[in-house]
Amino acid sequence: MTTQVLYRRHVLAGVAAAGALVALPRGIRAQATPTHGGVLRISVDQAASVINPLLTRVNPEYLLAELLYSGLTRLAPDMTAEPDLAETWTSSPDLTEWTFRLRPNVVFHDGSPCTAKDVAASFTAMLEPKTASAARTNIGPITSVEARDDRTAVFKLSSPYADIPVALAYTNAKIIPAAIAQGGLDKLSRAAIGTGPFKLVSYEPDRQIVVARNDAYYDRARPYLDRVEVVVYPDATAEASALIAGDTDLMASAQATEFPRLSSASSVKALRVPSGQFLNVNMGCDQKPFSDVRVRQALALTVDREAMVGFVAQGYGTPGNDTPLNPAYHFYKALPLKKPDIAAAKKLLAEAGYPNGLDVTLIASDKPSTRTQLGVAMREMAKPAGFRIEVQTMPHATYLEQVWKKGPFYVGFYNMQATADAIFSLLYTSNAAWNETRWNNAAFDKLVNDARSTADEAKRRELYAQAQSAMNEQVPSVIPAFFDLLAAQRSYVQGYALHPRGAVFRLDFVSLGPGAPRRG
Amino acid sequence: MSDVLRRLLRTPQGALGLAILAILVAVCLLGPLVAPVDPEKIDFLGRFNPPGGKFWLGADQLGRDMLSRILVGARTTLPIALAATLLGTLSGAVIGTVSAYLGGRWDEAIMRTIDAVMAVPGLLLALLIVNTLGKGSLNAMLAIAVAFAPGMARVTRSVALTVRQQDYVSAAIARGEGSGWIVFREMLPNVIAPVVIETTIRVAFAVMLFATLSFLGLGAQPPAPEWGLMISEARGYLHQAPWLIVGPGIAIALTAIGFNLLGDGLRDALNPRDER
Amino acid sequence: MSPRWFARRCLLIGYTLLIVSLLVFAITQALPADAAVMLLGENATPDALAAVRVKLGLNDPVWQQYWHWLSALLHGEFGISMRTGQPVGPAMLLALSRSLLLAACSLALMLALAVPLGIVAALRRGGPADIGASIVSYLGVSLPEFVTATLLLILLADRLQWLPATGYVPLSENFTDGLRHLALPVLTVSLILIAHVSRMVRSEMVDVLHSDYVRAARLKGLSGAAVLFRHALRNALMPVITIVALDVGYLLGGIIVVEEIFALPGIGRQLIVAIETRDLPAIQASALIMAATYAVANFLADVAYAFLDRRIRYE
Repeated sequence: MTTQVLYRRHVLAGVAAAGALVALPRGIRAQATPTHGGVLRISVDQAASVINPLLTRVNPEYLLAELLYSGLTRLAPDMTAEPDLAETWTSSPDLTEWTFRLRPNVVFHDGSPCTAKDVAASFTAMLEPKTASAARTNIGPITSVEARDDRTAVFKLSSPYADIPVALAYTNAKIIPAAIAQGGLDKLSRAAIGTGPFKLVSYEPDRQIVVARNDAYYDRARPYLDRVEVVVYPDATAEASALIAGDTDLMASAQATEFPRLSSASSVKALRVPSGQFLNVNMGCDQKPFSDVRVRQALALTVDREAMVGFVAQGYGTPGNDTPLNPAYHFYKALPLKKPDIAAAKKLLAEAGYPNGLDVTLIASDKPSTRTQLGVAMREMAKPAGFRIEVQTMPHATYLEQVWKKGPFYVGFYNMQATADAIFSLLYTSNAAWNETRWNNAAFDKLVNDARSTADEAKRRELYAQAQSAMNEQVPSVIPAFFDLLAAQRSYVQGYALHPRGAVFRLDFVSLGPGAPRRG
Repeated sequence: MSDVLRRLLRTPQGALGLAILAILVAVCLLGPLVAPVDPEKIDFLGRFNPPGGKFWLGADQLGRDMLSRILVGARTTLPIALAATLLGTLSGAVIGTVSAYLGGRWDEAIMRTIDAVMAVPGLLLALLIVNTLGKGSLNAMLAIAVAFAPGMARVTRSVALTVRQQDYVSAAIARGEGSGWIVFREMLPNVIAPVVIETTIRVAFAVMLFATLSFLGLGAQPPAPEWGLMISEARGYLHQAPWLIVGPGIAIALTAIGFNLLGDGLRDALNPRDER
Repeated sequence: MSPRWFARRCLLIGYTLLIVSLLVFAITQALPADAAVMLLGENATPDALAAVRVKLGLNDPVWQQYWHWLSALLHGEFGISMRTGQPVGPAMLLALSRSLLLAACSLALMLALAVPLGIVAALRRGGPADIGASIVSYLGVSLPEFVTATLLLILLADRLQWLPATGYVPLSENFTDGLRHLALPVLTVSLILIAHVSRMVRSEMVDVLHSDYVRAARLKGLSGAAVLFRHALRNALMPVITIVALDVGYLLGGIIVVEEIFALPGIGRQLIVAIETRDLPAIQASALIMAATYAVANFLADVAYAFLDRRIRYE
């Protein structure tokens, strides 16, 4: 089975790069045939208030969108693109035009056929600013999507882009019926008309959402489950207790504070995978004092990154080297880990004109609370070098309005993206949608641009390596730690692999083995 | 004044309350000096240390010494609780006295409105106000003051009305004393006493209310070492480090008990019935 | 208890609720960084924000918004939650039923324990039991609910593992499990109530037992038990009802915290979640419902008080 191979490849990469901390996902074991049937109860930590796939924002909503809808491609555990609604794809040699060939005989939940026209309409809606879909800036530089015939969709790009297949696996890039895409998006706030492996049965966002097997799914063998119930447990302790007691079968994510309890519970399998989720300390590179690279480098030299993993991730993480990539990314390049060097930091500060140190205010939003912890730890680590940091907490909405992307010194928090280009273009290029630091480094921009415009694997690797070195040396943000993703399941759940992207669940590969309870 | 103090110390509650309060004031003023370790200092290896050794009350998730944090935390909680109560008392007293003075329909209208505002439970009112003004210690203080004002208005009003009708006031008027003399020598000492008692007990409430607001994330914001906030942060580590909760909890309880005892003692010491 | 008294009280409640609605609306409407930002998060563009604001009616003049809200309220519609897109009313009422269950169980436990405790303390006045009870009740009054709750959590759920830590199971789904999940919240709330009430019962009983009335009854030769139950108790219980009525306000506040700690999906929790997500209609609805419950509870307490004391006449 292809899935098996992909899992194994991912695991080998993970083990090689991140050490022995990866919990081998169940799907590794050779599975003759997964048992069909059964009800899976998965718990999430907040309500899925939005089920319109173009507008989903948080993990429980991504989970549902994945159950109910399909995209052209989907993300495999090793971050490569797998066929979903598209069977095959090709591109023009200059990578500005991509052609996707759809599967035949795909139908929506209401029975109507899904054709390239629906694909075109869906993407047009995504790209429309009024829709306010997160997909708009995350699926690549697409100018138009056309249906050449019933089964062929042509994407025209404004610039060459090698990662289109992976980009189209984005969480919000789902295919909806053309009629709805063109003028009825509101219909999808209570109902779901997609091509996904499950259909919507009941929707009480604060309590429980139930989906049932879509017998008309394009893959006749999957999904294996009859039903999935998504239950909301806003409290982490209650959620863990429910799993341990057997009231739920799978936890989408677990808190670090509950993880030891879950690891030691019988019949519970704790899951853990290194991921590219990180906290960064952003410095406004367009104003003093951080416009001087020496100040930024000085700050970077005060941080003990291994300790930081302990402080903010309770040890469940990997140290960061001031680039947003870690071993979970395909094009990661290992650079020597920066160690704290207070003397050197003091020297750099003095050279930059601050022999007596520097007073700055670091803003941390209150969501998640690890931002403040990072701030406090950084304050103490940077004190000996002369940085006098004052940590200020702020409500998240105020932070988004007043500080994010504008402020001189603040803590950011980001999920893993599917590709190196995605995270670089999201945050660090001059024309990035979320240009946090206003670093605006032309050489870096060129590296990223060149890397995305060629399909040559070796060349891309070299270019991304240079880009990472540039960030490591110039330090627009201090990125001290990455988080491992944590989750847990009951032992009888089979086929579930914790995906480093965090927003991908692939529950249509999950089946229930012996020992699973019968749920009404 | 001095005989009030003497009488206060003679009651067991008064003496105990005063003693606790003296300790608290000392901690407020000298806290950072007395603290064994810098309360902000993080210690990677000391994380989650149980009480004992160099961490008398244990260490938290960043390795900070709990004892030091609790001692310094008094400087956040106590002044804010006192300020909130005083502000609430002052505004309440003004409203109550004015209402009593105006009498008649005005008095009725003001009191009915006060009753309606009191229909919103204290914590709820404070929550709504902080929600609007924004999270933070200062706004929490204002919210608590606003929540207390109506109650204090009622107390001062009823006291003012009662005192006005007392025999000794009529007697003084009959004796021909001047109104200034009447107000200051006859009325005021008897008005102040119940108000002071009520205020002292209210401080205990203010301490608990502020800690609750901070616990809910609406009062003091991290990384401030406020007791309620410390307990809220420690909730996630319940299993591994329960001492993170016991320390600040005792601090809050001690403070509230101190003020409660003082209030009880004052009630005995200042009992107006004994004045005559 | 004349019809005139009744009517007057009803009018008073109406006035109170009106003021409360104004208060709640005024306080919550002055929000700075607003609901639109919270809703759209990082994907907010100025266009999208403007569109959302229009859709939610945030640009209308304040008095107009208040009028819309009030008239909808009188039709029984509490608005649409900005967070879930569902009508607020049904969710709130369901949550209220759970909070009322919590309150009712706590009150029941409190009455069952506080009254006997107070009586015993009064009868054994000055003895070790009295002093012990005094200390415990002092503690109960001086510990904020969240401290008591967390301490109970550590002791009973974590160390001894007698009860589940957090969460809620509807009684209709599983009665015993539901009770087990309710146990800790009920215990927390009643502990503090018991502290208040037993102290009050004790001091009232002490006063009554020494009163002329009781002494006369004893002189008349009535037995101790008769004196106790027929005369002393009824007089002592009156202030208790006042205290309970006053405590309903505390109860509502305590419920907010207790529901938050034990993850009980009651009306207090709804309020906290609404505040955190800046869900304006939900904040207003839950605050109003809580305040209204308080006013109604006070009203019922007044009725009970008047009913128990046939000598009191209200105008």
